[in-house]
Amino acid sequence: MNYYEHTYIASQSLNNKDLGDLNKKIEELIKKNSGKIEKKEDWGLRQLAYPIKNFKKGYYINLYFSGEPIIVQELEKIERIEPNILRFLTMKIKKIPEESSELMQKEEVK
Amino acid sequence: MKRKNIKKKKQNTNSNLMLFQKATTKFTRDCPLSGKDAPIINYKNLKLLQKYTSETGKMLPSRITSVCYAKQKKLSNEIKKARILALMPFVTD
Repeated sequence: MNYYEHTYIASQSLNNKDLGDLNKKIEELIKKNSGKIEKKEDWGLRQLAYPIKNFKKGYYINLYFSGEPIIVQELEKIERIEPNILRFLTMKIKKIPEESSELMQKEEVK
Repeated sequence: MKRKNIKKKKQNTNSNLMLFQKATTKFTRDCPLSGKDAPIINYKNLKLLQKYTSETGKMLPSRITSVCYAKQKKLSNEIKKARILALMPFVTD
Protein backbone atom coordinates (compact mmCIF):
# COMPACT_ATOMS: atom_id res chain seq x y z
CA MET A 1 0.00 0.00 0.00
CA ASN A 2 1.26 3.46 -0.91
CA TYR A 3 0.45 7.04 -0.02
CA TYR A 4 -0.41 9.41 -2.84
CA GLU A 5 -0.95 13.11 -3.20
CA HIS A 6 -3.32 14.16 -5.93
CA THR A 7 -4.17 17.69 -7.09
CA TYR A 8 -6.55 18.67 -9.85
CA ILE A 9 -7.91 21.92 -11.30
CA ALA A 10 -11.61 22.07 -12.11
CA SER A 11 -12.80 24.63 -14.63
CA GLN A 12 -14.22 27.97 -13.54
CA SER A 13 -17.42 27.51 -15.55
CA LEU A 14 -18.81 24.94 -13.06
CA ASN A 15 -21.40 26.02 -10.48
CA ASN A 16 -21.31 24.84 -6.87
CA LYS A 17 -23.57 21.83 -7.48
CA ASP A 18 -21.63 20.53 -10.47
CA LEU A 19 -18.34 20.99 -8.64
CA GLY A 20 -19.72 18.99 -5.69
CA ASP A 21 -20.83 16.21 -8.02
CA LEU A 22 -17.42 16.08 -9.67
CA ASN A 23 -15.66 15.86 -6.29
CA LYS A 24 -18.05 13.12 -5.18
CA LYS A 25 -17.43 11.16 -8.38
CA ILE A 26 -13.69 11.17 -7.79
CA GLU A 27 -13.96 10.31 -4.10
CA GLU A 28 -16.28 7.40 -4.85
CA LEU A 29 -13.88 6.10 -7.48
CA ILE A 30 -11.11 5.97 -4.90
CA LYS A 31 -13.34 4.20 -2.39
CA LYS A 32 -14.57 1.72 -5.01
CA ASN A 33 -10.98 0.59 -5.65
CA SER A 34 -10.50 -0.03 -1.90
CA GLY A 35 -8.57 3.17 -1.27
CA LYS A 36 -8.92 5.48 1.68
CA ILE A 37 -9.00 9.28 1.63
CA GLU A 38 -6.73 10.49 4.42
CA LYS A 39 -6.96 14.22 3.96
CA LYS A 40 -8.67 16.74 1.72
CA GLU A 41 -7.83 20.36 1.08
CA ASP A 42 -9.84 22.87 -0.90
CA TRP A 43 -7.70 25.74 -2.12
CA GLY A 44 -10.69 27.47 -3.68
CA LEU A 45 -10.80 29.61 -6.81
CA ARG A 46 -7.27 30.67 -7.75
CA GLN A 47 -5.75 32.71 -10.52
CA LEU A 48 -3.88 30.51 -13.01
CA ALA A 49 -0.32 31.58 -13.83
CA TYR A 50 -1.05 31.07 -17.53
CA PRO A 51 -4.34 30.44 -19.38
CA ILE A 52 -5.37 26.78 -19.84
CA LYS A 53 -8.07 26.12 -22.47
CA ASN A 54 -8.79 29.88 -22.42
CA PHE A 55 -9.62 29.83 -18.68
CA LYS A 56 -7.86 32.28 -16.40
CA LYS A 57 -9.13 30.92 -13.06
CA GLY A 58 -9.77 27.46 -11.65
CA TYR A 59 -10.87 25.55 -8.56
CA TYR A 60 -7.97 23.71 -6.90
CA ILE A 61 -8.64 20.50 -4.96
CA ASN A 62 -5.89 18.60 -3.16
CA LEU A 63 -6.38 14.99 -2.00
CA TYR A 64 -4.24 12.65 0.07
CA PHE A 65 -5.12 8.98 -0.17
CA SER A 66 -3.69 5.55 0.50
CA GLY A 67 -4.15 2.47 -1.61
CA GLU A 68 -2.90 0.38 -4.48
CA PRO A 69 -1.42 1.77 -7.72
CA ILE A 70 -4.52 0.68 -9.68
CA ILE A 71 -6.37 3.67 -8.20
CA VAL A 72 -4.00 6.12 -9.86
CA GLN A 73 -4.44 4.44 -13.23
CA GLU A 74 -8.23 4.50 -12.94
CA LEU A 75 -8.27 8.12 -11.68
CA GLU A 76 -6.10 9.47 -14.46
CA LYS A 77 -8.00 7.52 -17.10
CA ILE A 78 -11.22 9.27 -16.10
CA GLU A 79 -9.66 12.69 -15.62
CA ARG A 80 -8.19 12.69 -19.13
CA ILE A 81 -11.67 12.21 -20.59
CA GLU A 82 -13.49 14.58 -18.22
CA PRO A 83 -13.79 17.99 -19.97
CA ASN A 84 -14.23 20.01 -16.77
CA ILE A 85 -10.82 19.06 -15.36
CA LEU A 86 -8.06 21.29 -16.71
CA ARG A 87 -4.99 19.76 -15.06
CA PHE A 88 -4.04 17.04 -12.59
CA LEU A 89 -0.89 15.84 -10.89
CA THR A 90 -0.31 12.69 -8.82
CA MET A 91 2.72 12.14 -6.61
CA LYS A 92 3.84 9.20 -4.52
CA ILE A 93 4.75 10.39 -1.02
CA LYS A 94 6.26 8.74 2.01
CA LYS A 95 3.97 10.14 4.68
CA ILE A 96 0.99 12.42 4.92
CA PRO A 97 1.74 15.91 6.34
CA GLU A 98 -0.20 16.85 9.46
CA GLU A 99 -0.26 20.60 8.98
CA SER A 100 -2.35 22.24 6.29
CA SER A 101 -0.39 23.62 3.35
CA GLU A 102 0.59 27.27 2.90
CA LEU A 103 -1.84 27.73 0.03
CA MET A 104 -4.65 26.64 2.34
CA GLN A 105 -3.61 29.00 5.13
CA LYS A 106 -3.68 31.98 2.78
CA GLU A 107 -7.30 31.26 1.95
CA GLU A 108 -8.26 31.19 5.60
CA VAL A 109 -6.72 34.60 6.30
CA LYS A 110 -8.70 36.24 3.51
CA MET B 1 34.15 26.61 10.36
CA LYS B 2 35.05 28.23 7.03
CA ARG B 3 34.64 31.75 8.41
CA LYS B 4 36.92 31.08 11.36
CA ASN B 5 39.72 30.00 9.02
CA ILE B 6 39.49 33.21 7.03
CA LYS B 7 39.80 35.35 10.15
CA LYS B 8 42.94 33.58 11.33
CA LYS B 9 44.72 34.05 8.03
CA LYS B 10 43.91 37.75 7.91
CA GLN B 11 45.50 38.33 11.29
CA ASN B 12 48.73 36.65 10.28
CA THR B 13 49.41 38.62 7.09
CA ASN B 14 50.86 42.08 7.09
CA SER B 15 48.22 44.64 6.07
CA ASN B 16 50.51 46.52 3.66
CA LEU B 17 51.48 43.40 1.76
CA MET B 18 47.87 42.17 1.54
CA LEU B 19 47.13 44.26 -1.56
CA PHE B 20 49.77 42.64 -3.74
CA GLN B 21 49.26 39.05 -2.66
CA LYS B 22 46.89 36.63 -4.30
CA ALA B 23 43.86 35.66 -2.23
CA THR B 24 44.58 32.28 -0.66
CA THR B 25 40.99 31.56 0.32
CA LYS B 26 37.92 32.00 -1.83
CA PHE B 27 34.91 33.65 -0.23
CA THR B 28 32.22 31.01 0.19
CA ARG B 29 28.74 31.14 1.59
CA ASP B 30 26.90 28.22 3.19
CA CYS B 31 23.86 26.81 1.44
CA PRO B 32 20.77 28.70 2.67
CA LEU B 33 18.52 25.67 2.16
CA SER B 34 20.45 23.09 4.19
CA GLY B 35 21.13 23.09 7.89
CA LYS B 36 18.98 22.95 10.97
CA ASP B 37 16.44 25.73 10.42
CA ALA B 38 16.25 25.37 6.65
CA PRO B 39 12.81 25.81 5.07
CA ILE B 40 11.11 22.80 3.49
CA ILE B 41 11.25 22.83 -0.31
CA ASN B 42 7.79 22.01 -1.58
CA TYR B 43 5.82 22.96 -4.67
CA LYS B 44 3.17 24.51 -2.42
CA ASN B 45 5.69 26.85 -0.78
CA LEU B 46 5.43 29.48 -3.51
CA LYS B 47 7.15 32.30 -1.63
CA LEU B 48 10.33 30.24 -1.34
CA LEU B 49 10.27 29.12 -4.97
CA GLN B 50 9.77 32.67 -6.22
CA LYS B 51 12.94 33.71 -4.38
CA TYR B 52 14.97 31.38 -6.58
CA THR B 53 13.46 32.38 -9.92
CA SER B 54 14.14 35.49 -11.98
CA GLU B 55 11.54 38.09 -12.96
CA THR B 56 10.92 36.29 -16.23
CA GLY B 57 10.24 32.98 -14.44
CA LYS B 58 13.57 31.24 -15.08
CA MET B 59 15.52 29.54 -12.32
CA LEU B 60 18.53 31.37 -10.87
CA PRO B 61 21.89 29.55 -11.14
CA SER B 62 23.35 28.12 -7.95
CA ARG B 63 26.57 30.10 -8.37
CA ILE B 64 24.52 33.22 -7.60
CA THR B 65 22.28 31.83 -4.88
CA SER B 66 24.93 29.46 -3.41
CA VAL B 67 22.44 26.61 -3.05
CA CYS B 68 24.13 23.20 -2.78
CA TYR B 69 23.84 20.63 -5.59
CA ALA B 70 21.30 18.33 -3.91
CA LYS B 71 18.97 21.17 -2.91
CA GLN B 72 19.25 22.81 -6.33
CA LYS B 73 18.07 19.54 -7.91
CA LYS B 74 15.14 19.38 -5.51
CA LEU B 75 14.26 23.03 -6.17
CA SER B 76 14.15 22.43 -9.90
CA ASN B 77 11.87 19.41 -9.47
CA GLU B 78 9.46 21.30 -7.23
CA ILE B 79 9.40 24.34 -9.55
CA LYS B 80 8.49 22.03 -12.43
CA LYS B 81 5.59 20.59 -10.40
CA ALA B 82 4.34 24.09 -9.59
CA ARG B 83 4.51 25.01 -13.28
CA ILE B 84 2.40 22.01 -14.34
CA LEU B 85 -0.34 23.04 -11.89
CA ALA B 86 -0.21 26.68 -13.12
CA LEU B 87 0.89 27.94 -9.71
CA MET B 88 4.01 29.44 -11.30
CA PRO B 89 4.55 30.68 -14.86
CA PHE B 90 6.79 28.96 -17.41
CA VAL B 91 7.75 32.33 -18.87
CA THR B 92 6.53 35.88 -18.42
CA ASP B 93 7.17 38.72 -20.85
